[in-house]
Amino acid sequence: MKLKFLSNRKPDFKTAQNSILPFHPLESSLDTNLAEIKRLIGHSADVVFRSLSNPSSDSPAISFIYIDGLVNSDLVSQAVIQPLTDHPLLKEQRPEQAFLLIKEQILPVGGLQECTTVETLLGMLFEGNAIILLDGSKIALAAGTSFWEKRSVNEPTSQGVIRGPKEGFTESLRTCTSMVRRRLKTADLRVEQYKIGRRTQTGVALVYLHGIASEQVLAEIRKRLDAIDTDSILESNYIEELIQDGGLTPFPTIMSTERPDAMAGGILEGQIGIIIDGTPFALLAPSTFFSFFQSSEDYYQRFDISSFLRLIRYSAFFVSMLLPALYIAITTFHQEMLPTTLLISLAAQREGVPFPAFIEALLMELTFDVLREAGVRMPRAIGPAVSIVGALVLGQAAVQAGLVSAAMVIVVSFTAISNFVIPSMAIANSIRLIRFMMMLFAGSLGLLGIMSFLMVLVIHMASLQSFGVPYLSPIAPMNPGYLKDIIIRAPLRNMKMRPSTYGSKEAPRQNLLPKEQQASGSPSEGQGNKNS
Amino acid sequence: MRENTQTGVNIRYLAGRRFLLIVSLLSLLTGGCWDDRELNELGIVSGSAYDWKDNQWHTAYQIINPSSGANNTGGSSGGNTSSPPFLIYSAKGNTLMQAVERTNLTSTRQLFFSQNRITVLGEALAKRGIGQLIDMFLRRPDARQTVYVFITEEEAGLILSQLMQLNRNQSAGIQLMIEQEARLTSYYPGIQMVELARQLSSESASAAVPEIKLSGNKVMDRTSDITQTDLPSRITFARLAVLKEDRFVGWLSQAEAYGLSFMTDKVKKSNISFPSKPQKSDKDDASISLLHSSTTVRPIWENDHYVMDIGIKADGTLTEVGSNLKLENESAIRQLEHNIEQNIIEIVESSWRSVKKLNADVTGFAISIHRHHPKQWKRIKQEHNWDTVFQNIQIRPHVKVKIKRIGFNSNSYNSVNKN
Repeated sequence: MKLKFLSNRKPDFKTAQNSILPFHPLESSLDTNLAEIKRLIGHSADVVFRSLSNPSSDSPAISFIYIDGLVNSDLVSQAVIQPLTDHPLLKEQRPEQAFLLIKEQILPVGGLQECTTVETLLGMLFEGNAIILLDGSKIALAAGTSFWEKRSVNEPTSQGVIRGPKEGFTESLRTCTSMVRRRLKTADLRVEQYKIGRRTQTGVALVYLHGIASEQVLAEIRKRLDAIDTDSILESNYIEELIQDGGLTPFPTIMSTERPDAMAGGILEGQIGIIIDGTPFALLAPSTFFSFFQSSEDYYQRFDISSFLRLIRYSAFFVSMLLPALYIAITTFHQEMLPTTLLISLAAQREGVPFPAFIEALLMELTFDVLREAGVRMPRAIGPAVSIVGALVLGQAAVQAGLVSAAMVIVVSFTAISNFVIPSMAIANSIRLIRFMMMLFAGSLGLLGIMSFLMVLVIHMASLQSFGVPYLSPIAPMNPGYLKDIIIRAPLRNMKMRPSTYGSKEAPRQNLLPKEQQASGSPSEGQGNKNS
Repeated sequence: MRENTQTGVNIRYLAGRRFLLIVSLLSLLTGGCWDDRELNELGIVSGSAYDWKDNQWHTAYQIINPSSGANNTGGSSGGNTSSPPFLIYSAKGNTLMQAVERTNLTSTRQLFFSQNRITVLGEALAKRGIGQLIDMFLRRPDARQTVYVFITEEEAGLILSQLMQLNRNQSAGIQLMIEQEARLTSYYPGIQMVELARQLSSESASAAVPEIKLSGNKVMDRTSDITQTDLPSRITFARLAVLKEDRFVGWLSQAEAYGLSFMTDKVKKSNISFPSKPQKSDKDDASISLLHSSTTVRPIWENDHYVMDIGIKADGTLTEVGSNLKLENESAIRQLEHNIEQNIIEIVESSWRSVKKLNADVTGFAISIHRHHPKQWKRIKQEHNWDTVFQNIQIRPHVKVKIKRIGFNSNSYNSVNKN
């Protein structure tokens, strides 16, 4: 049903470019072409038109168009304009021969492409190419001179590690693909590029390992990408929302990552990376629920500590989802479950608190969410003010004023801290929403409500799919062989097989060559053999 | 066209689901909250007392006063003298629930029984029978069947109003005392309501309930009363009340209670004082601290009566010797062990005499006979002559005590002086 919904909106036109510009071949007259281009792009200040016409010689007139700021000006003047200015070879040449000479002999730039229509020409122009128009030629040349200011490669801000690579993706698509390519030096790594967004023309790259990524999943992702018809893609969430499996769910089914090593790891297990130009957050699909609890650092430290940390993460997940709800349920319905001393202590704190426990919890949770949002939006200089307001005013003062009980502050703080343990912000945020539902159920039905809502939640999760992969696999459907990397992280020596959770074929990851060959130290042992 | 109808179906389907979702969420509001109780609406009952006077139930409930810091937090005890850590609500009624109802009428908070720790029964009530009370405890979902039961000679409510030092939550303190007592001295096997009900309905139809009382005459029920180091009156355990069917039949002294503990295998750790040289003097002048003790009871049918073969095995550490014994000698230790064995046999036999006199099978011999000789038990049951059988029972205790350690010094200090 949901897929049909997407396909219903399939656009009439194949490429997005057509929707803005009518199909328009170049003329042979330079002036006509220039006039047409100027008409189309208007008087934009950053577009530079430059003409070379030497009346003394018989060489044909040449025009250059480029966008200031998208090209390397030095390169344009030295490698494009200068060689064509009064070049001896061009003397007394007819336009066709001059075009060939320019293309094959004169220009010392790397990338050189031909454009036959005004549309492709403009596309090239906006990507930072310098366009060379020759009078009398119906073909224009686009020289690869693109260069613009980029943020340098920095440490990822949202997915830090203690041990492990410190570089994160940047906003530049090419930089991102190169970072993945540098980690997977194999011919099987494929980068398929799309342009999506009628006006933004955002580059989107599918990155996967040929032979490992499942063909069906690939076909599905390509189909959904093709079906996107929108005017803009500004961040990876645009793609994520437009291609994710339909249905109302608080759970993310596509993972986003800032880390090239995490992406390489996912790709090696058969996931498909989707890198979007203009954002350092790339996507990995398909993703299961458990993949959101795996941090790339799990594989950079010993398996025992990794397993321990994973268990901590899962318990933090439950704490973050259930703790306020359990507090409400137990203190308003099931007081007999508490040890007497604890009960008396809680009762003493609640003396004089004006609200029922549910309202109290709701207030505190909302307060924390407000604080948290404020912390994100606040200018850095006023940041400390938020912590003072949060810690002193809302924590201590509220307790002393008798508005909330101290135990509630502890519950809310621990819940909040637990929420930050989960490596993926996406799932942490969905828990934030589920927590409120959980509290509502706890406040009205007690533990019974919590239990029933948990059941509904599990049933819902079991019904989810990410590009055909069941969301809870390999727990449901159960595949005991793949549990080595789910709840715990088994030692690498024991993870000899690549799991086929993401639809790829199960195949060995280690000891690919017979023993004798290994002993002789074959250097080609590595990724190249993985598809066998 | 086709697509349109399909979207229409989808929309209707989605609308239906949304409707269901809203209805189920709304149902939460109607169905929920009916039995919710905020913590500050609860009168947490920590201890309860039941008595029978003038043909009426007299109840007293000890309700925790949360704002006085009744939970036992460190050194703050005694600091807040203005308000007592708990309050007593007493009421009378023809039935138990009537009394509870009347208590609720006088209290701002609804009684909450699920944290009840102890229940004290007056002797008068015990003499009348406690079947109705046990029934209430087993019937009500919020009544704790794990409450410890005590019997008092005095008015039952008085015990509850006594304040306790160190442990401000008095009932929890009493529970702690009886549990510790079972671990350290093993005189009174503390009994919980469910166990009491089980024993009274077993073949023996008898149970022993520890007596609780105040060591002085005065009830310390003002917070100012307990701001002294040596309270004139404290809560203590004294004797063991024996119940048969559901009625009180008599008392066992502390020593007899100890013998009963040996017979029923309730001794865990304990101290025994005994004369180290019985041929010279009968006076107790040595102690052993028992670390392990186990009892096996085996009924033997001999001609016309049962003989209960009671095997007691114990070991322990010597903790004091008052005579001039030289414990370097193996034989001296054997002698001591023998003395202890004699001492235990005496304790057990005197206890058995009293039990026999009360004619209540708190020793659980009936259960043992039923297990070992089911056919004979059936006959006893048919002939309804268990009481005569019980009166004819003889016991044959064998005690094996081993002194495992004699402590740091071997010869007694007195022996060093004398020589």
